[in-house]
Amino acid sequence: MSETATYRNSYLVLILVLIACFFANISLGSVSIPLDEIFNSLINSAKNESWQYIIQNYRLPKAFTAILVGSGLGISGLLMQTLFRNPLAGPFVLGITSGASLGVALVILGAGVFGGFFASLLISKWTIVIAASLGSFLVLLAVLIVSSKVKDTMAILIIGLMFGSITSAVVSVLSYFSSAEQLQQYIFWGFGSLGNLSWNELAIFFIIYCFGILLSILSIKGLNTLLLGENYAKSLGLNIKQSRLLIIIATSLLAGTITAFAGPIAFIGLAVPHLTRQIFNTANHKILLPAVFLFGAIVMLICDSIAQLPASDYTLPINAITSLIGAPVVIWLLVRKRKMVF
Amino acid sequence: MLQNKTFTALLFCLLLSLTSCKKEVKPIPENKQDFAKTTFKYAEGFAITHNENFKVLTINNPWPKAEKTYKYALVQKNMLSKITLNKDEFDGIITIPIEKIVVTSTTHIPALELLEVEETLVGFPGTDYVSSLKTRTRIDTESIRELGKNEGINTEVLLELQPDVVIGYGIDGNNKTFETIKKSGIPVIYNGDWVEKSALAKAEWIKFFGVLYNKEKVANTIFDSIEKNYQEAKDIAAKVENQPTVLSGAMHKDTWYLPNGTSAEAQILKDANVNYLYSETTGSGSLALNFESVFEKAAHADLWLSPSYYTSMEALEKANAHYTKFDAFKNKKIYTFSTTTGKTGGVLYYELGTARPDIILKDIIKICHPELLPEYTPYFFKPLK
Repeated sequence: MSETATYRNSYLVLILVLIACFFANISLGSVSIPLDEIFNSLINSAKNESWQYIIQNYRLPKAFTAILVGSGLGISGLLMQTLFRNPLAGPFVLGITSGASLGVALVILGAGVFGGFFASLLISKWTIVIAASLGSFLVLLAVLIVSSKVKDTMAILIIGLMFGSITSAVVSVLSYFSSAEQLQQYIFWGFGSLGNLSWNELAIFFIIYCFGILLSILSIKGLNTLLLGENYAKSLGLNIKQSRLLIIIATSLLAGTITAFAGPIAFIGLAVPHLTRQIFNTANHKILLPAVFLFGAIVMLICDSIAQLPASDYTLPINAITSLIGAPVVIWLLVRKRKMVF
Repeated sequence: MLQNKTFTALLFCLLLSLTSCKKEVKPIPENKQDFAKTTFKYAEGFAITHNENFKVLTINNPWPKAEKTYKYALVQKNMLSKITLNKDEFDGIITIPIEKIVVTSTTHIPALELLEVEETLVGFPGTDYVSSLKTRTRIDTESIRELGKNEGINTEVLLELQPDVVIGYGIDGNNKTFETIKKSGIPVIYNGDWVEKSALAKAEWIKFFGVLYNKEKVANTIFDSIEKNYQEAKDIAAKVENQPTVLSGAMHKDTWYLPNGTSAEAQILKDANVNYLYSETTGSGSLALNFESVFEKAAHADLWLSPSYYTSMEALEKANAHYTKFDAFKNKKIYTFSTTTGKTGGVLYYELGTARPDIILKDIIKICHPELLPEYTPYFFKPLK
């Protein structure tokens, strides 16, 4: 029996949990809508016009965004952790998220400093998405150039962290010269948000996400070989440089677009791979990758349901919930198992 | 203690010699009639007590949940040589009438202009935010120095200006810049107008400036007329039975921020006799609600006031397509004060609104019940284009 077959039941359970979480997510919210009306809204025949709009244009895109964000960040975290052989790695370390933050800061806060041109850019939400993608892409490009010169993956990791520091310094300077409204806008972007995408935006998000996932699948073989160490991988005939490039592009596509569309979401990229490894006791990426996909989506849907504070008029920033709920779970799992599976 | 007294005496001698040197400064006429007792109808954040030789200005609530009250001794210039005060008892000893002042919020500027003492303003942080024509002209002719951006006041320039007093404001008591200014001997008074709970109480802070300039009576008269205008407008609005439903605020990401029912903004809406959909809510700070709850409640609201900083329908739509589903958007019934700006982009509502709640009330009455004020043109609020 193949290893994949051993985990078939676990996958089945996870898929069922994911479906349950998805329906729970769209049925919970500030406005209490009866269950039958939720199904009616989905097929376009709800009694109440506002309910139909809320389900179709707010909760549904939000639930799909949660799935894309959770699974995408989880996978990019897994890729980073394997590439750098470091349990602390995640999309944040390569400087990808920092690059996106810098792009957004330049557009939002830059309006205050540079005025004119930047201020005119602010009117469109797309500007922020493009700025974030451009920012993460440029940082990635820099990392790629450096990685072609530096052989050591650890050095790349440190360079990524340094990019993060430079970014936050530039953001500080921009913040200092910005108006209260601009600062507020930037801070709110930093809180992260899943419920802010229209169907059109979601479609574009989905296309780029699919590319990222496809590249991740293509790098499975390389990832498994990398686990044995770079020298051993080389002796097995793996083109390290090519694999590394593939992994980095996949990660930045995923993490870059997610940050662009939903803001910098903390914790998921780092923790979901660990949660998955605790349950799927394997290092084989063929098993881990789909499991991380399912786990990430489930965790994000749960976090979003909590952030919406069902039955209250209030909502919490998603970024706070992912860390508040997620981090203790990881601590608990590690204490219980007394070791980190890595 | 002895040392302290000696120091105070020395300081006074020094102050006296300094002020006597400043003969070129145009003295502000001291009208005897202006020495009237200051009484308050609405404001709770400050108090003035009249002693024999000096007045004491007490600031009770400079920021929300302030634990300390601040006491300032206001000494008439001609009394300086006659009295000795214990410096430790006060957070500042200020010679009045003020001849040189630095204020830190645009909301302080209309008070100076209404009292006709705007020529005493020598510095302001962020002069671009100032819109009023009189003060703008003085900024353009460099009679008012730029003191820096945001709340980070340029201490060096301020020290060079040597104002008699700096009117500050704080969100808490931890403003390092103000501490430095105080240490250099320039008194800082915290203005807490923004903490007051009603629009009229905020406006009543003109009396705070009145006492600093020996213009208490003028300040009282100005406030009485603002209050009268406000009450008259309120009485007119009270007569109509039709109460249009009103929505306010806008979303930042997926959270909709709007004033709570006990806020000064909501009170003005109530006085304008409209049905603000969130008038039943309470609490400090604004409401932060989920999009869906706002949509369910306010999708059919007749009017939408102050949609955050958005200045056009297009900007609103581009920021979030959900906005277009509101009736007020479809019927183009959205009004904002963000488009009424001064020459350098400062929003007039933020500057003048605190001092003139009567204008805000009339604006809202005109928008919500146009038939009541046929001749009136709204000053702050304009329809979103």
